[in-house]
Amino acid sequence: MMLQIEKNIENDHSVLSLIGEIDASNSVELDAVILEMVQGGVSNLLVDCSRLEYISSAGLGVFMSYLEEFQEKEIKLVIFGLKEKVFQVFNILGLDQLIKIRSTKQDALGELL
Amino acid sequence: MLNIPRPNIGKVSVLVAILAWLALLFVDITRIFETVNRLEPNMAPQVSYVLELLFFITVYLFYNYSINKNEDLDFLNLIWRGASTGLLATSVSLLINFFYQMLGEGRLAADPLLRNFFYHVNFAMMTLFLISCSLLWKHLILYQKSKRVVQQWQAFEILMLISMFFVFFNENNLDYSFLFGLVFLTFFSASLSVNLKWIPYLTFKEKWKSILFFVIILVCTSYLFFELLSYSGTNLTFVNLTDNLFLMGLFAFVFIYSLFSFLVTLFNLPTSSVFEQKLLEAINFQRLSQSIKPGQDETQVLDILIDSSMSAAYADAGWLELLDKEENKVIIQERFIDEDIREELYDLISNIKPFSEFNWKASDNETRKYLGKIPHNIFKSALMLPLVVNQKTIGRLFLIKEVKDGFNKEMINIINTFVGQASISVENYRLLNEAIKNERYKEELKIAQRVQRSLLPTELHHDDSFEISGISEAADEVGGDYYETKQISSNLFAIIIGDVSGKGTSAAFNMSQMKGIFHSLVQLNPSPGEFLAKANVALSQCLERNHFITTAYYLVDTESKKIKYSRAGHCPTLFYDASLKSCDYLSSEGLGLGMVRSALYENYIHEQEFEFDKEDILLLYTDGIVEAKNESGIEFGYDRLKKTLMDLHQFSAIEIQKKIIEHIYRFVGQNSMPDDDFSLLVIKFNP
Repeated sequence: MMLQIEKNIENDHSVLSLIGEIDASNSVELDAVILEMVQGGVSNLLVDCSRLEYISSAGLGVFMSYLEEFQEKEIKLVIFGLKEKVFQVFNILGLDQLIKIRSTKQDALGELL
Repeated sequence: MLNIPRPNIGKVSVLVAILAWLALLFVDITRIFETVNRLEPNMAPQVSYVLELLFFITVYLFYNYSINKNEDLDFLNLIWRGASTGLLATSVSLLINFFYQMLGEGRLAADPLLRNFFYHVNFAMMTLFLISCSLLWKHLILYQKSKRVVQQWQAFEILMLISMFFVFFNENNLDYSFLFGLVFLTFFSASLSVNLKWIPYLTFKEKWKSILFFVIILVCTSYLFFELLSYSGTNLTFVNLTDNLFLMGLFAFVFIYSLFSFLVTLFNLPTSSVFEQKLLEAINFQRLSQSIKPGQDETQVLDILIDSSMSAAYADAGWLELLDKEENKVIIQERFIDEDIREELYDLISNIKPFSEFNWKASDNETRKYLGKIPHNIFKSALMLPLVVNQKTIGRLFLIKEVKDGFNKEMINIINTFVGQASISVENYRLLNEAIKNERYKEELKIAQRVQRSLLPTELHHDDSFEISGISEAADEVGGDYYETKQISSNLFAIIIGDVSGKGTSAAFNMSQMKGIFHSLVQLNPSPGEFLAKANVALSQCLERNHFITTAYYLVDTESKKIKYSRAGHCPTLFYDASLKSCDYLSSEGLGLGMVRSALYENYIHEQEFEFDKEDILLLYTDGIVEAKNESGIEFGYDRLKKTLMDLHQFSAIEIQKKIIEHIYRFVGQNSMPDDDFSLLVIKFNP
């Protein structure tokens, strides 16, 4: 399973691009990157999942584990560009009720305002 | 049967030798008697020669037997045996001479009988000494023998045998044939005497001792030789036994070999310490390369390492520094140095170049060596070598000398080899330990697997109105899928299916917690929504931050034919409606357990209810079913699952369950294994 994580800090927002597949073995990498960004003091986080092919429950667990902290620190998290199949995973679990999910980056940026 | 005892060659030959010697004495006494009484001599000298031959051969047999019996004698003992026999022969001869000195010109001194007796004694002692020495030398010559040397020695023995018979033609006259024979034997002895391979194996001390023994042998040989010559000078009245080509040849051989050995040992003295050192290094290397035996530990190898390195470098002090499990530096194996000076030196070395350039994390430590001067009033030079095991630097070897530039290239090379070999030994030992540990983990996992299998129900509760069949398979030894049933009352059944996030051991632990929660809550007969709310509260306490559990809880009332259910993020249940002949996923909102760990969770709970009828089918499953991938990476998916159930609806629950699994395996292909846990539960209502 291959996962590539790209980090981009643009003006007033940070974009995290997830490329490939997230499973139990590489979900720790995702966790490490998010933790690093939180500790770096980001105020918002856009996650670009347009090239994410698959996410397992362990990957979802990473997002879930930060929800409370994001709420406390008022960090806005928006996921965008989810492929249909990947969105279904978010949807079945009900995570789309807890995380803002938008189809395009434009829509996602709109959420930050 | 008659039991004839095997004759003991040693005893028999001694006995025959003594008898032959006594016979010789007797024959000569008879001869003297005849001469004195002016009788006609009728005793031919050949009688003496034959007896002499018999004596030689039996003495040879005796020594051959006795030396072979003590096969494990070392070189020094062999040489000492020769020297002691020589001393004995010489002392006997000296005593006889002394005795004659004491007698002066008396009548007894001229007595032929007494003279004859002493002559025979001398002859016997000489023979014993020469033959024993020759046989001892044979052992030395044939040390690390080659075929050529063995042949040469055999030729020599045949020549000596022939020389024994020479006396019959020559009658002990010193003619040209005798001289020719002697010169030939001498040259042959000299050519044999270059076989001195045993000498380098003596230690320095042993060499000194062997030199002393050879001096004794040389002196004895010379003395006895001149003694022998003195007999041939006098006009004896009896048969001369000693002017014999065999004996002369032996003299030449024993003397030449002793002389060669003496000289070579002497010239070998200065280099012997080097040879000893190399031998020790070879032995140390061998000890280091022997893998650590079970029950021993690494310190044994490190112990040998520092000892052998110190002796190879003639180091004056040394120690080993090792990283322990917590990466702390510990000093082990201090040698010839007390702790204060060692600490002083350690600080000194750590702060000067090139030693300060050492880096524990460097990847090429294996090839590095640190050598340099140290500004200390006693110790002047130091060598430091890193110990690398499995690409990780685990320690350092320090060697210190009191002289400047004390470490030469050869020393460093050999110590490098020692360090490399010790590292390999330690690595092997660690790998072995790890393998044993892994084996144990595997065993424990098997136990966990058995325990977990027992957590899945062996019997699914139902009544006459429906049949139920379930299966669960884990991708690893243990998995995170869970399903179970419970009969709450005569017509009310609770059914649960769940999937713990992640897989493997941590998932298995959480799954067993889920089982506990189900069993305690189901007693209270909660509604599906209540169940989820209470389960969420319980799980929020114990689930790790990034873990959650998806589940679906069903209450099947077989009397009212109603099913109440609630879904917590679990895969939507597939429902086949027999009356409509249609198949659909029961969609409802829901959120996985543990995702919101507060009372807010209740906002996400939705309870649904629907009616069922005969031949309807409920399909509960986990995501391993729909996410099963084939070789081209395509998932089995919801649509394919739906279609499969449509095709199978006429079968019984257990048949549907088996056929769906078959379908999935066929889809995935034989070469792939499921990479997630999967479970399937089929409920079919009876007509």
